[in-house]
Amino acid sequence: MESGSEHILACLSSSPSNGRIIRTAARMAQVFRGTFTALYVKTSDAGAASQEDKRRLRYNQALAEKLGARIETVYGEDVPFQIAEYARLNGVTKIVLGRSSAGRRRLFGRPPLTEQLLAYAPEVDIHIIPDKSADGPYRPKQAAESGKSAAKNALWSLGILAAATLISLPLHTWGFTDANIIMVYILGVVLTSVVTTHPVYALASSVASVLVFNYLFTVPRFSFAAYGTGYPVTFLIMFLTAYITSTLAMRYKARAGQAALTARRTKMLFDANQALSKARGRDEILDTAAERLVGLLGRNTVIYPLEDGLLQEPMLYPATGEMAYDTDAERPAARRALTEDAPGEGDKGGYLYAPLKVNDRKYGVVGLDVRSEMLDGSERDILSSILAECTLALENERNAREKEAAAVLAESEKLRADLLRTISHDLRTPLTTISGNAANLLANEDKFDPETRRAIYGDIYDDAQWLTELVENLLYATRIEEGRMTLNPSAELLSDIVDEAVAHTRRKTRKGAVRVIHSKELLLVRADARLAVQVIVNLIDNAFKYAGENASVTVTDGQCGGMVEVLVTDDGPGVADSEKERVFEKFFCGQAPVADDRRRLGLGLYLCRAIIQAHGGTIEVRDNQPHGAVFRFTLPLEEVTLHE
Amino acid sequence: MNKFLILVVEDDPPVRNLIATTLKAHDYRYLTADTGEGAVMEAASHAPDVILLDLGLPDMDGVEVIHRVRDWSNVPIIVISARSEDADKIAALDAGADDYLTKPFSVDELLARLRVTQRRLALMGGDESASVYENGALRIDFAAGCAWLGGEELHLTAIEYKLLCLLARNTGKVLTHKFITQGVWGSSWDNDVASLRVYMATLRKKLEAAPGSPQYIQTHIGIGYRMMKVE
Repeated sequence: MESGSEHILACLSSSPSNGRIIRTAARMAQVFRGTFTALYVKTSDAGAASQEDKRRLRYNQALAEKLGARIETVYGEDVPFQIAEYARLNGVTKIVLGRSSAGRRRLFGRPPLTEQLLAYAPEVDIHIIPDKSADGPYRPKQAAESGKSAAKNALWSLGILAAATLISLPLHTWGFTDANIIMVYILGVVLTSVVTTHPVYALASSVASVLVFNYLFTVPRFSFAAYGTGYPVTFLIMFLTAYITSTLAMRYKARAGQAALTARRTKMLFDANQALSKARGRDEILDTAAERLVGLLGRNTVIYPLEDGLLQEPMLYPATGEMAYDTDAERPAARRALTEDAPGEGDKGGYLYAPLKVNDRKYGVVGLDVRSEMLDGSERDILSSILAECTLALENERNAREKEAAAVLAESEKLRADLLRTISHDLRTPLTTISGNAANLLANEDKFDPETRRAIYGDIYDDAQWLTELVENLLYATRIEEGRMTLNPSAELLSDIVDEAVAHTRRKTRKGAVRVIHSKELLLVRADARLAVQVIVNLIDNAFKYAGENASVTVTDGQCGGMVEVLVTDDGPGVADSEKERVFEKFFCGQAPVADDRRRLGLGLYLCRAIIQAHGGTIEVRDNQPHGAVFRFTLPLEEVTLHE
Repeated sequence: MNKFLILVVEDDPPVRNLIATTLKAHDYRYLTADTGEGAVMEAASHAPDVILLDLGLPDMDGVEVIHRVRDWSNVPIIVISARSEDADKIAALDAGADDYLTKPFSVDELLARLRVTQRRLALMGGDESASVYENGALRIDFAAGCAWLGGEELHLTAIEYKLLCLLARNTGKVLTHKFITQGVWGSSWDNDVASLRVYMATLRKKLEAAPGSPQYIQTHIGIGYRMMKVE
């Protein structure tokens, strides 16, 4: 998602004025240098639209595409909700609407689109384009009410009218006044408006009630004539009262239903959002989304994750017990849904596939079992909401991963820069003395007495040795930094490792002595021999650096539970408590009063810790008694069964 | 005048000069080559007593040179490699190299390796198929199947004896873990290496006066073991 830039959304429709909206949105996108998306909300009755509407929709779609819009289709019944959801999940900043869809408040039902949109997505700017078309507000041809529900509604209306009449007849006989009977009919109309689903029944019922009342109860009875001069007014008031009351009841019902639906949806989305944001990693997110879908829709669900542009093996989530799923037969349909970027059914119509995608990034395909029955409108809403939440979670997860990788990269870049800076500084000193001494010898060899020459040779040798050690440590350090510290562990005799390390340090010319105390047991350790030797070498070198050349250093090995331990003890000044943790940090050089400062890079102990930790051991520093430091590290013990 | 002829194979001139100067200073005769092809040619035409072979050559892998030379010659080969390349060293040793030097090496180390090889050649000179092996105070009677240290018989287990014989027959040569485990157990897997370390430790306890600074069996950490020639 391009952060900071505008994302403009226009809604595609079959309206003749839709072209204007698309053009305006395209101009806005151009001005703001933002992205432009044309969204089409496909409802379940889209198939029943007239040929004329379908043609106009195709035309508008082509127009949007030509103007650089990305065409998106979402499925759902609740158009404003779907628009708002899409806007929220895709970072849309402005929505462009036509006045016709903005609309005036209608007498029945819901508030206009703009208000609903504002309620669903308050953070988005909504731009309304005046509709200048002469035809007046455009309404697509409403799909005809299904025959089944029409019959049901008509039956209810007739039944209630009949009941009101049945109640009124005895009332009339017992001499109740017209007012009572009128009230009974009004009650009937209100009831009709409550139980039926379309306002036309309340209207019809109002008219019928007036007629029936006129026919049965006004003098002359059983005719539509009325003698009383007040009756026309009575009829009119009766009709208006019945109609207005029923309208109010109807609107209240619609509001309540809408509120319940919104609450349910909000809760469902909230739950799904919570669950998905808790999920860690792609697989867990997909699992969670699938569980939600199974729980809410009760259908068998499959998910094909997408990796490197290829659909992976599907993950199956049966709704009840076993589920039979023919991957080979279904895979083409899933792939088609992905490539066509729109939901679609399998060849045999068994599963409905919908792509998991956000912007241009695709994450997979979700399939739902529709063998028993197709998804209805609210199920489609649920599906698209869960899918949207799921892709959002996947997108977040992916962003987090990329961010983390970038942070790691930046960190290692920084480390490398630090390392280079320190090294180039520290290498200069010994290199200066080596080249200076060599230049001296080349130019003035004869002028030096043998004693002086020997001293110069010795200096060159020592500095070269120091550089050798440094380069060795640097090599290991860069390998750790680059994550290439590949251990090559094998079973080694601990005493061999200690002896090798001590022999290595004894080659150096120093006055102090290294004493070795071996465990009486034969201890095998699982370690990379060369690295383990390097740890002990560094610890011994470190001891001499900080405790002085004349220090006495002791190396002790032994067993400690399931580990072996090695202690390197010196009799120097020890490590202050405040520095005990920091000595293992990179480039940390303590305050010990040793003159030749350039001999310390602060890498030795850092490497020791890195090597020991890579082996699964621990390293620490303690105080020696009466003074000095004890460096102790552990490595895994190797158990061996002898082969005869 | 030292009669030894040494072939130095090294492509880096300063290092080649260093080795050449050292050899000259110690009265060795030497030849130099800076490519693998050149090395094989020189080895064939001059039959050197020892080859010092750098593993990183411009034209050919050093291990390949060893294979080519080993086709027709048993001349001792000492490989030279950078320190962090244990795997290369092991590969070279398994291919038939006798010893190795790690860069950066000291002049003393180089000379010590050459002396070891010289002694080994002297040893190999006469009693290749001898039934009795003698090295310092150590005496092995292969026919009788027993070993003595300074007149006292060593009480060795079967495996320890096998190990000792294997090392003795290759005195002066660095034997890799793989070579030893294959020679003793006929297989080479990780657990054998662990076993090998234990048997080697017990063998040394019986053989060495001071196991901390061994006289006979040298440990090469991460690589293997070697029987030293003791004067």
